[in-house]
Amino acid sequence: MATQGGIVFQEKVSRLLRGQNGKPVLKPNRALVLKDAVANRKPKKGEASCITEMSVLMACWKQNNFVDTLCSNEINSFYMCVEKAQADAKNKAGQSNIQGGRLPPKQATALLKRYPNLCKEI
Amino acid sequence: MAASISGLLKPWTPRVFLVRWSRYNPYYLEPEVSKEAYSRPETELSAEEKEQRELKALRPIKAATSGVSSSVFDDPVISKFINMMMEHGNKVLAREIMTQTLENIKKKQVEKYHKASEGEREAIECNPYAIFHQALENCKPVVGLASIQKGGKYYQVPIPLTDNRRRFLAMKWMITECRDNKHRRTHMYEKLSQELLAAFGKEGNVMKKKYELHKMAEANRAYAHYRWW
Repeated sequence: MATQGGIVFQEKVSRLLRGQNGKPVLKPNRALVLKDAVANRKPKKGEASCITEMSVLMACWKQNNFVDTLCSNEINSFYMCVEKAQADAKNKAGQSNIQGGRLPPKQATALLKRYPNLCKEI
Repeated sequence: MAASISGLLKPWTPRVFLVRWSRYNPYYLEPEVSKEAYSRPETELSAEEKEQRELKALRPIKAATSGVSSSVFDDPVISKFINMMMEHGNKVLAREIMTQTLENIKKKQVEKYHKASEGEREAIECNPYAIFHQALENCKPVVGLASIQKGGKYYQVPIPLTDNRRRFLAMKWMITECRDNKHRRTHMYEKLSQELLAAFGKEGNVMKKKYELHKMAEANRAYAHYRWW
């Protein structure tokens, strides 16, 4: 099936290159060969996490002249917020990898590199 | 060795066992050096820990470095500090300096203890390891600054730091302070013990550096929204 579809496709490509009435439709400057890599996706820009906690902490610092012992409650809540944000980020990354039905770009590239496009007969 | 993405690997036993290398295939697990982890009976472990144990029985494990040991005196924080002090691979010298530092701290504290009156004696801490850990804790910054580019300009944005990064900064400041800003004819252990005792009492140049970082972060708090993580 794939070979039959392949022959038809090759004929179509050669017709495009030769062109109708002597004028070619395609003028490729590179060889029409598939690369062994996939383009990377731009990671989505998130929002800054724990800003309220940080601003509370900085207000406490301003009041107490940056002495840490007087602001220990705010510091602890800031650390807990940071831990939670990191755990959330980790979970999200795991989930988005499984869903979507497609491989992530890095894994697709690794797979294509292992089974590359054959360009020579040897 | 085979590819690096451990999700695409099938279970395998290596034909060649790597000894004391630093680059391992991610399939290898970290070694557990402490004796307490193995002396716990089966009943005390939770389900996850039982799974971990079974996994360790099947997977290859990295060789333990010569810097860790299973003795009660092995302290990962102190080992890390020794490694950071080490220059040109001279671990013997770095360890020597560390032991001399701890000895020096103990000497000074015991001297203070004997000179103090009865009421003050309980407040004086003589354990040099406790002093080292407390001093390092006091030197760790809470927030750090990152250089983030926005609209062609670079801004110093306050960001939360991971625990490892904070510990690294505290140790780095301590070592650079002792190397650069002290009188050149004093020994390193003397400089370190002075600085550690000062940090224990929340004074000294390293504490000043930490406060300056906090002040910069507080001054730049308006740019906190430039972060995207």
